[in-house]
Amino acid sequence: MKPGSIHPISSLIREANRIFFDMGFTLVDGPLIESEWYNFDALNVPKDHPARDMQDTFFIKDEPGMVLRTHTSPVQIRYMESQMKKGILPPYRVIVPGKVFRNEATDMTHEAEFFQIEGLAVGEDISLANLKGTVEKFFTELFSDKGKSSAEMDRELGVLTRFRPSFFPFTEPSVEVDMQLNGADAPEKLRGKWVEMMGAGMVHPSVLKNAGVDPEKYRGFAFGIGLDRLALLRWGIDDVRLMHSADLRFINQF
Amino acid sequence: MRISRNWLKKEFFASIKDEDFPSAESLSVSLTFYAFEIDSVEGDILDVKVTPNRGHDCLSHRGIAREVSAIDEIPLQSDPFRESISLEPKTDALKITVENSQLCPRFAAAYITGVKVGASPEWLRTALESIGQKSINNVVDATNYVMFNIGQPLHAFDASKLKMKNEKWKIVVRNAKAKEKMIGLDDKEYMLSEFILVITDGNTGEAVSIAGIKGGKPTGIDEATTAIVLEAANWDGVTIRRASQALKLHTDASDRFQQVISPELASYGLKAAVDLIVQVAGGEVAGFVDEYPVPQERKIVSVSLKKINSVLGTNLTKSDIADTFKRLDLPYQCNEMTSHCMFTVTVPFKRLDLVIPEDLIEEVARIVGYDKIPATELPAFPNRPGINANFYAAEQKRQELVTKGYSEVFTSVFAEKGERMVANKVDGVRPYLRANLTDGLESALEKNTRNKDLLQLYKVKLFEIGTVWKDGKEMTMLGSADEGGIQEAPLEIQEATPLGYEDLPISKTERYQPFSRYPFIVRDIAMWIPAETKQEDVLEVIRKAAGELLTRSEKFDEFKKGEKTSLAFRLVFQSFEKTLTDEEANAVMEKVYAAVKEKGWEVR
Repeated sequence: MKPGSIHPISSLIREANRIFFDMGFTLVDGPLIESEWYNFDALNVPKDHPARDMQDTFFIKDEPGMVLRTHTSPVQIRYMESQMKKGILPPYRVIVPGKVFRNEATDMTHEAEFFQIEGLAVGEDISLANLKGTVEKFFTELFSDKGKSSAEMDRELGVLTRFRPSFFPFTEPSVEVDMQLNGADAPEKLRGKWVEMMGAGMVHPSVLKNAGVDPEKYRGFAFGIGLDRLALLRWGIDDVRLMHSADLRFINQF
Repeated sequence: MRISRNWLKKEFFASIKDEDFPSAESLSVSLTFYAFEIDSVEGDILDVKVTPNRGHDCLSHRGIAREVSAIDEIPLQSDPFRESISLEPKTDALKITVENSQLCPRFAAAYITGVKVGASPEWLRTALESIGQKSINNVVDATNYVMFNIGQPLHAFDASKLKMKNEKWKIVVRNAKAKEKMIGLDDKEYMLSEFILVITDGNTGEAVSIAGIKGGKPTGIDEATTAIVLEAANWDGVTIRRASQALKLHTDASDRFQQVISPELASYGLKAAVDLIVQVAGGEVAGFVDEYPVPQERKIVSVSLKKINSVLGTNLTKSDIADTFKRLDLPYQCNEMTSHCMFTVTVPFKRLDLVIPEDLIEEVARIVGYDKIPATELPAFPNRPGINANFYAAEQKRQELVTKGYSEVFTSVFAEKGERMVANKVDGVRPYLRANLTDGLESALEKNTRNKDLLQLYKVKLFEIGTVWKDGKEMTMLGSADEGGIQEAPLEIQEATPLGYEDLPISKTERYQPFSRYPFIVRDIAMWIPAETKQEDVLEVIRKAAGELLTRSEKFDEFKKGEKTSLAFRLVFQSFEKTLTDEEANAVMEKVYAAVKEKGWEVR
């Protein structure tokens, strides 16, 4: 019998989990309906602050203080908080793949519901250089041909990343991460071009504090990648709305 | 914010030769990698996306000039903030009362007489128009120019339209009364609420301005104005933000106040605007008033060289750090007696964003350049990562179902009905959160069944693992759909946590192939061929004859009779450009029949 296909997003999550698992990251999850505390306040986005405008939020009717989560970051707080309650101190390394929501009109590049993968590493000696090393390793593994030796891979796929200054209330410093693929194994449309991949940075001390982790002793990095966008780049998909189309003309290509 | 290169150069780098000053394109690159994203560059105008943490100081040409100076190492030639400002002489003609100084930390004003309102001089009009502003008159343009130049919003009242009592004007800042009304300079009537602040004429009790947002029409400047009261105040950001949202009124002034600006800025703004008004509209200053009960405190932030390097993962030296602070004009002291080499920065009043050591680390990182941060792999993790039971269960089910020919879909969580709903969906449709997967799967099954021939599937089989909101709970369901019907049940989680994830296959697809969104037409063809003729050769002949409209071709029947074989193929035709007609499909079929006959095969 002809097998079916898993959704390309599921394939990406499966692959990302494998890569990050080998770097010591545990996959964790959290609820889609979230409190404003976890989605905003605990992440250093105070009420009535212009930073809240950065994300158009769906509010739940007749449930004051509840929203559809606008990012996977609330799970950072939930995870650290639950570890601290169990008496388990850092180091922590987690990834959080999952659905997130933005209240905006949909078009070829915007969807109101989409997928992100969050990464968080907390310890006594985590640095911004570790963030760079981690995302470079992730992209190299993700875009390289698994059948090749590492020497062949180096020759045929070069992954470069660069940081640009940015702002997120939950990280300080904050950066945007761009990626460039080079070499024979790089998809032609992407070869040699810088593409914006994610927002990231060093976890803001207030975020650690709000989760009960001592910011004097520990620090960490965090990043969030849009998986739909990653899928678009990876496979040259031209319309993000295909992701939720449930159309096998799309799904069965994967 | 729109920033003009010529404006920057004229105001802050005047003695540099034009050819020595970076082009707009080059400024765009510098700002992108060391400060802010640039939305667009058109001619000499850059649209700079100032981040919310820098709304305090960078929603102005001066703020951007400061950045350019630090990044490109071009000294700022004139900086309005270098001099200290005194608002002298004072006047008794104006009495200011602020009811709640928490919400209005400073209210400064000037009384100017003998102005002549008219058109702005060419340079002023051009400057404002270059950044997309409309020129109104010389007085209003002067206040706007100062706002876009150094960041302090101002407002000018026609003094003759305020009521004088005992030779005094009285200005009272208070909360609006419920349903209090004011007609704005935009001719719209605004209905106010109690949390909104207003500036009022204390002698009449009337609101003359919605604080920090919009001036009132009745006291506005017109051609007959000769005396003005010029206001430069400071407002609580949250109050302005809430008022601006409630009134659906966003102005250049409210944009700045809601980001919170320094109260120190008010005197610089007022002085600069007074000078410019006198320059372009004549008149003279009769005096100033300044209600500023609690001056802004000077903040000190310290960070050690060791901490900077350990957070960034770098080996920067003491002089690298000193250089950054010098370039950014952040006054610092370096205490070398301590073992860590501690840098203590006295934060300039405008930089309200610099509060904790990490804020200084970010300044160092971006000015030194993020390209100087090495890529260092994480050290090995001391523990084995955990296994997520939900994800494990979902992965097992995915594999099981894919093996059985089911394909995975995601349908929307938004639905026509459900237990819970969102309150503010922009498009207004399907505001409920689904209570089942079945409805979504049902329509997906129907839609895909119509494409069965195109998909080359005899049976469409789908599954979804997704969240539903049911019985007051959020839960993960597994649903499947096929010709036998649709089923769904909560995703079962194993009791015992497995030791590791299985090595399940990932997609090997390299590129996605776009498909036509137009309807397709199906035609079958059956024929007798000699037993020794290969089926692939037959298909090749059909494909060649049919051309590019043939999207799918598949054998669906075969049987032998003596020396001959009967083959039947299903052909699917589809265009990327339009809906095919029957005639067009028939025409292609005629070509196929002809090609088959030419080979001597007998069409049945």
